Amino acid sequence: MVAEAKPKTNLDMFTMVVLRRRIEAIIREMTNALFRSGRSGVLNTAMDFSCSLTDASFRSVSVALGLPVHVGAVHLIPEAISTKFGKNVAPGDCFANNSGYLGNTHCADFTLCAPVFYEGQLMFYSIARAHLGDMGFPQPTTYNPRARDVYEEGLMLPCVRIQRDYEDVPEVIDICRANIRVPDQFYGDYLATLSAVRTGERRLAELCGKYGVDVIKSFLDEFQQYAERMAVDAIRKLPAGTVSREMRYDSEIAEYPDGIPVRATVTVDPKDARVIVDLTENVDNLPLGINMTESTVLASCMTAVLNVLGADIPRSSGAFSRIEVRMREGSAIGKPKFPAATSAATTNLCHALTPHIQSMFAELADGLGTAYGTIGMPASCPVVSGKDSRHDGKPFVNQVIMGYWGGPALSGHDGWLTYGSGASQGILWQSSVEVTEQQQPIIVEKLEIRQDSGGAGTWEGAPGASCVFRARNDAVRFMVNSASRKFPPPGVRGGLPGASMTVTKQRADGRREELPISVDVTLEPGERLISEACGGGGYGDPLARDPEQVRRGVAEGRISRERADTIYGVVLSGDGFGIAVDKAATETRRSATRQARAR
Amino acid sequence: MGLSIAVDVGGTFTDLVLRDEGGVVESLKSPTTPGRLVDGILNAVGIAAERRSISISNLLGRCERFAAGTTAATNAILEGTYPQTALLCTEGFRDVLLVREGGKEDTYNIRIDYPAPYIPRHLTFEIAERVNAEGGVERALDEAQVGAALQKVKQSGVRAVAVCLLWSIANDRHERRIGELIERHLPDIPYSLSSAVSPSIREYRRASATAIDASLKPLVSASVGALESRLREAGFKGIVTLVTSSGGQTAGAEVVRKPVYLCLSGPSAAPEAGRRLAKSEGVKQGNAIVVDMGGTSFDVSIVTDWDIPMHREGIIAGHMFGVPSVDVKTIGAGGGSIARVDAGGFIHVGPESAGAQPGPACYGRGGERPTVTDANLVRGFLNPAGFAGGVMTLDAARATAALEQEIAKPLGMEAPEAAGLVCLTVEQNMVAAIEDITLKRGVDPREYIMIAGGAAAGLHAVAMARELGIKRILVPRVAGALSAYGILVSDIRSAFATSLLTDSAGFDFDRVGQVLAKLEGEASAYLDRMEVPAAKRALLFTTEARYRGQVWQLTLPLPRSRIGDQAALAELVEAFHKLHETRYLVRSPGDVVEFIEWNVMAVGRMEEAEAARPAVAASGSAARVGARPMYFRELGGMKEVPVYAGQRLEIGEEVAGPAVIEEPLTTIVLYPRSRARATAQGSIWVELQ
Repeated sequence: MVAEAKPKTNLDMFTMVVLRRRIEAIIREMTNALFRSGRSGVLNTAMDFSCSLTDASFRSVSVALGLPVHVGAVHLIPEAISTKFGKNVAPGDCFANNSGYLGNTHCADFTLCAPVFYEGQLMFYSIARAHLGDMGFPQPTTYNPRARDVYEEGLMLPCVRIQRDYEDVPEVIDICRANIRVPDQFYGDYLATLSAVRTGERRLAELCGKYGVDVIKSFLDEFQQYAERMAVDAIRKLPAGTVSREMRYDSEIAEYPDGIPVRATVTVDPKDARVIVDLTENVDNLPLGINMTESTVLASCMTAVLNVLGADIPRSSGAFSRIEVRMREGSAIGKPKFPAATSAATTNLCHALTPHIQSMFAELADGLGTAYGTIGMPASCPVVSGKDSRHDGKPFVNQVIMGYWGGPALSGHDGWLTYGSGASQGILWQSSVEVTEQQQPIIVEKLEIRQDSGGAGTWEGAPGASCVFRARNDAVRFMVNSASRKFPPPGVRGGLPGASMTVTKQRADGRREELPISVDVTLEPGERLISEACGGGGYGDPLARDPEQVRRGVAEGRISRERADTIYGVVLSGDGFGIAVDKAATETRRSATRQARAR
Repeated sequence: MGLSIAVDVGGTFTDLVLRDEGGVVESLKSPTTPGRLVDGILNAVGIAAERRSISISNLLGRCERFAAGTTAATNAILEGTYPQTALLCTEGFRDVLLVREGGKEDTYNIRIDYPAPYIPRHLTFEIAERVNAEGGVERALDEAQVGAALQKVKQSGVRAVAVCLLWSIANDRHERRIGELIERHLPDIPYSLSSAVSPSIREYRRASATAIDASLKPLVSASVGALESRLREAGFKGIVTLVTSSGGQTAGAEVVRKPVYLCLSGPSAAPEAGRRLAKSEGVKQGNAIVVDMGGTSFDVSIVTDWDIPMHREGIIAGHMFGVPSVDVKTIGAGGGSIARVDAGGFIHVGPESAGAQPGPACYGRGGERPTVTDANLVRGFLNPAGFAGGVMTLDAARATAALEQEIAKPLGMEAPEAAGLVCLTVEQNMVAAIEDITLKRGVDPREYIMIAGGAAAGLHAVAMARELGIKRILVPRVAGALSAYGILVSDIRSAFATSLLTDSAGFDFDRVGQVLAKLEGEASAYLDRMEVPAAKRALLFTTEARYRGQVWQLTLPLPRSRIGDQAALAELVEAFHKLHETRYLVRSPGDVVEFIEWNVMAVGRMEEAEAARPAVAASGSAARVGARPMYFRELGGMKEVPVYAGQRLEIGEEVAGPAVIEEPLTTIVLYPRSRARATAQGSIWVELQ
């Protein structure tokens, strides 16, 4: 059934405006509480955490805060509590969940959720999710793309009660501390995450007290109806159609010598105001950690479709209800079947799936959708570990986020430079070179745009980074889950793919060695790790790109003169500060190329 | 006390506040003259002289201090009109200004362009050199290569050069040598070195501050020179000062040396105004939220325990300027903010603004979309005849038509109710901005008073205070020129900084001692130049500290000006634990504390403002001047509500809500259950029940 186009509000608009802002303020205060007290670098440098809430029927009332992959399917968390504990949930409880089988994203995302009661009635769930610096994996990393099953991943917390009556359940804390490499840092991050959840709980209860349970309940109903109306309106403006597409994701296992296929069928039904994403044709679970989880599959689909629908649609259950996602249990892009490994469920295939769905809208109509952005982490985003002789051999383990770029082009806009991936969509912060060198015994010798790495197109994909690390006086271990080797991010509507990623080790004597997709390498003093990241894919025919943009790209050294000439068909004259477009020659060149193509 | 004058040159108006020898304060507004800012300033001085029936040279001759705030630097950055500037950076890091630090304000909006860097890539030149985190040289400076790069700089035709090398904070020799080479090869081009402008860690922030500093040099030296010489020609003999990012003032010559400190000049003085006004009105606890609402933007800053919080993350148009500044949050909310109803039937107000042209529908200049000013007119809060000191008449019919078309009809309500809804929505946006700046520090707005400045704040202050649980609002008599008043009363201030990494486990007493002595020397020399007498001087030392392993540091005031022995160190470390606990709720007593930077703020205290008496005493005639229908939701619709003339209120006279008090440049709306009282200084206190 299609929602009414006209608002039918029982609550007056005054109360709607106030309550919407109040709920946003509560989520912002939760976010603040977590940021203020987080200890590990992933939390307080990269901001890799999200706060959210749902009502008692698990409907999310999210605002535009937090990572898309974190908040796109957060309702699964309270659902898991309800399934597992039924009525056995009381004020003062808090549950920890990092299980991809119980609605969590991946193992390193530590998710806390507390029920919010008001006068004995369950009203909300307050939720905070934080990517921890260590989760007790066999290796010092928080993703293990080569894990064959869950037993090669980190500590599992399958939706367990971690607080009762507002007090820690000591056994659970003890198990965590015993399994995690940095127990004090873990406990600090746990307290920070807990403080976000409890802040949300307290504020939501106050809100119920101030406005009354009935007003809050009708607000929650009407807000979802509003979100749904917004989605309905946007879907009705789309052209009807069905698109099926397959893309390939880099494989390092024998079963898929030609890459792992990623498949989807998207149906847009403007009449019924519905979008259906069918993922059931995807491959079975892989003996790798890159299998996705229900949570990351749902979140990727919601993010992708809502990206197309527009920024003003609330990222809430009401809007999600117009998007149907069909997935299969036991599929790498679906629900995992135990004991499939899923610790890299927020990165690798997840990076491919979001833009894959967006790209199908580009096929549906010019102007819609996007090309593909960066897939896999470039080696400039390693988890680094070792011992630092500058501090008496003190051990360190840290995730560096540097040169995490390469956004997809879309109609009207070149790719967003510091995009990272569809899972974070630009929200992550990039590490400072100086802070990185102060914290680890490495020298960053280069961090610059990699020339010609963005996919050419009418709109160009954002470039990737060219980055070089050198070990100083200590051996340093680098772990990276890269991709985009054989299959760099494709372009759409005639746009070209971004350049392929490469990861190279350079020995002290200058000899070079290409490294595989899942990098685990130790640099000895004087050795270098050279990361060439992919760029995002382009959108539309390169011959239609504004020649002035091409000239600027050359003048700034972002693209080569050769690319301007051969791919963009732009004829330039002069050099240095005097580069200019030869308009007539460019037009001639471009029409000749078009004619040659037609033949 | 001598006569002093402060001006705040804004985009539209130049505000002037004058305090005469008897302590009488008056304020006035005069249009800003774009491109010839000094003309606008002298026009304003001319009006003040005329009011006293004396000549400009007579007035300026009596003037001891002339202080100015100017948005000229801020606007040059905002509008991208600063002169072309080159950046010299360490080889391999040409994109530092492009990348910034990542993060994205509006995560879910993909239809936006990535912002351009402050200095484009083709004007960024790489220098072969490298220093490491400990200040060691990994790669020596190649002077021949620098010479070649400077030739390219020359060809490019830029008017300024910024130099920011990695780790110049640990070892500035390469930067200083490049400075010497610039002087030799490009003697006429001003340049800035990052180790001098903002010697703090994180290459993007330092590069951005340095780029901004260099780019402003050609502009600022010309405009400060013009201001000083024209004032002198007009008869002024004292020191011309400018208000800086930190909300303090400093001599023009100092600003010319480090023009990046002109970022936010003007609005940066608003919290100081709030602090002084609260003190002079007898406020006991020093907690105030200072709001300033004009036509397009809403600025909010805070005063906590009489202290104005500073930060180093000030941003203009996406570019971080890095130097210590008062923390002012700005959102797009003002009289010109446009209201709309979306496809799902929800109302939104701003950030889009009708600006001055076409302006709100009621201006009759062709604007057809309803704004906050239209809503305030339709609900009867604004007097159509008395807007902006009576210089403008508002067209209520046009406002009603716009509001009906865009808001009332789609939502199925009457125009006055729609007007109330538009105002409630913009108030909610402003409340969110206030919560953001207070909650960020873990402070509770209910423990604060509100100080309302700007033409539009009085219309919304009571509603906002009610939502936040604030009980008292001060609408100062100088509300229309709040920043100019802050400029008048602000302290003389300048910051000096040095980077030096050491920690509590192996504290380098000798080098820290040398650094602090050097900072003290620089600060004292500055106060000498500013002719600050010894009794008025203060040196505020701070260090940037963190637990080892953390990446974000806290600004820690030094308990004393030297750290000479273990006892002093223990005291410093304990102060850090305490600060960390206040800000982050936890302390780690066993962890090593790292100190990465040492700073001093040199302060020359202004005399505490005594009661700033109004120029005109209360007239004695009845303050109640009439009544008109106004829409109050809690009164059930349009009701006849009394109107008072603020300037006729006797000292101590009270007005109970619902009522409206009209001042020449602002209107104060009293809701039911609130009452106003006039103070001896001509300000209005509003109490909420």
